Amino acid sequence: MSDALPAAERLLNLVIALVNTTAPMSKEQIRASVAGYDHAPSNDAFERMFERDKEILRDLGVPVLTVTGAAHGDEQGYRVDPDAYALPPMELTAAQLGVLALAAEFWQDQVLRVDAGRALTKLRVVGSSPADPDAVIGLAPRMHPAGPALGPLLDAAAERQAVGFTYRAASTGEVRERIVEPWRLIADRGGWYLVGLDRDRGAPRVFRLSRIAGPVAAVGAPGAFVVPDDIDPRALVDVAREAESRTAWLAIVPERGGALRARAQDLSGGPEAPDGWDLVAVPYTRASDLADEIAAYTDAVVVLEPASLRESVLRRLRDAVTAAAPLRRNDG
Amino acid sequence: MAERTPERLVRLLGLVAYLDRHPGVEVDQVAAQFDVSPVQVLRDVDTLWMSGTPGYFPDDLIDFDADSLDSGVLRLTQSRGMARALRLGTREAVALLAALRALDASVGDALEPAERAVLTSTLDALTQATGDAAATVDVQLTVDGDPAVLAAARTALRERRRLHLRYVDAADRVTERDVDPWQVVAGDERSYLQAWCHGSGGERLFRLDRVLAAEVLEAPATTRPAPPSDAAFKPMAEHAVVRLSVDGRARWAAEQLPTEEIVEDEDGFTMELRVSSPAWLRGLVLRLAPFLRDVDPPEALLDAGDAAGRALDTYRRLGLTQ
Repeated sequence: MSDALPAAERLLNLVIALVNTTAPMSKEQIRASVAGYDHAPSNDAFERMFERDKEILRDLGVPVLTVTGAAHGDEQGYRVDPDAYALPPMELTAAQLGVLALAAEFWQDQVLRVDAGRALTKLRVVGSSPADPDAVIGLAPRMHPAGPALGPLLDAAAERQAVGFTYRAASTGEVRERIVEPWRLIADRGGWYLVGLDRDRGAPRVFRLSRIAGPVAAVGAPGAFVVPDDIDPRALVDVAREAESRTAWLAIVPERGGALRARAQDLSGGPEAPDGWDLVAVPYTRASDLADEIAAYTDAVVVLEPASLRESVLRRLRDAVTAAAPLRRNDG
Repeated sequence: MAERTPERLVRLLGLVAYLDRHPGVEVDQVAAQFDVSPVQVLRDVDTLWMSGTPGYFPDDLIDFDADSLDSGVLRLTQSRGMARALRLGTREAVALLAALRALDASVGDALEPAERAVLTSTLDALTQATGDAAATVDVQLTVDGDPAVLAAARTALRERRRLHLRYVDAADRVTERDVDPWQVVAGDERSYLQAWCHGSGGERLFRLDRVLAAEVLEAPATTRPAPPSDAAFKPMAEHAVVRLSVDGRARWAAEQLPTEEIVEDEDGFTMELRVSSPAWLRGLVLRLAPFLRDVDPPEALLDAGDAAGRALDTYRRLGLTQ
């Protein structure tokens, strides 16, 4: 063989060697005997290649153990733990594989899409027959991409390792470095959130992933914290989004506000609508979202109650009049 | 595009473990099992029987029965200790488990009992195999709107029949139309029915929460689904360009809108959007009003300001302002 072996084949030979070896293999042994490493032009090149390969294997779930034993003096040896290598005994039907194939389509993020695809390939091994595409007919789940921060945050949360990143606060635009113990990642209505302990503040905080600027770096060792079991991360996200379930009583011009009517509840006991208007009760959790939606209907939808929601809508309308006023003056 | 190294490695290892469990499988069947071409399977086999333990003498290598292979059947005769299926990595397990949980929680109730049973048993099997890996992630889909609408859409999809919809569009117009449902795209922000609309003679995405009523018709669906759409609004070149300059507090807008271009400056940013609906643009300008620095063309702001003024008059007339 004069050509270097493709990386996949070198890695395959490395896994087979490390699974079958009776004693841990030293780096020298690996370089000298495993197909694909004999072409490394220098020590440095071999070291880089081996370190990268080890990373790839661990990323794929291959348990590469580093053993420091008397046999090698100070030097480390490597082997794969065959028991930790194996998927627990299981068997999947064609329909179950079909559902898993559907789940693998869920992520639009590059990182998780690749992860889901690999997981599916592994599970096809224990499938009795090829995936049935009609296991769940006509359903396509789709998750917005979370961006580059998601991968490192998932890894850190799984490892219980703190992370550092630059964060742009929503309200003020202030940009600051944060050190956070990542507890949980939550996707809710188009947004991705990290809930964790903000170490500087010594308190739980919610971070929106899209406001993380630049890379997320692991800080300190794995296993650095435990997730408190008396917290409810989703509730923290809800609070952060000012969520609470309420009912808006709206007066709507007949035939208008179709999208609001589509979400209406059958309720009695609300205020009375003015003559010529329809009374519609709409449940909501985020006042600012609903105020935005209602303001866009301008004079076709009027908020009767609650007063706080009405004020939010009125503020938006006044802001628009104010913003347009200079143009009016220029006209005249 | 060349396949990435880790993907190929996972399949190579998977093939050995699969063929160890299934002695003598046709190449085409293996290709279907792994969702790759038969040519790729044969390439993988070529690689596998060159691979093995150091030394790489014939007895060290993974091996197949040559006669079987000549007749298009893969029969593994030596697995070199690689007969076990590889477990899932942490992130791999998270990716599938979180997706299955989200599916179960958001559309589980709308599934047929048999479909639901498959989903639940898959979730159980995977949880058993991987433990509590997905505790770090919590994902939800938003399937809002009338549950009866979703149920009707699912029935029509299953029975390949046409649907009659009452739909309210972004400009607040109610329309009636007959559609061939293609798929329900359940998203994290909202969900859509992707369908062929017979009235307009084209593919349309209907927001589920804007479908006022859906009725399954006797007529069969006659059009075939297109490749899966990502269900996002795609601006088109013929739509008018609007430039909105806002201060930094409107950061969310850059995150949520289908912007063509964003130029950052010291205090905020300027974004370019293609707009198909004047009603949508008016709503957007109203949302951004407190943060607006400039609008081009200015008519967009004048229109929104006039409409807001009329709305304020209405509140005054109804005695709803202090």
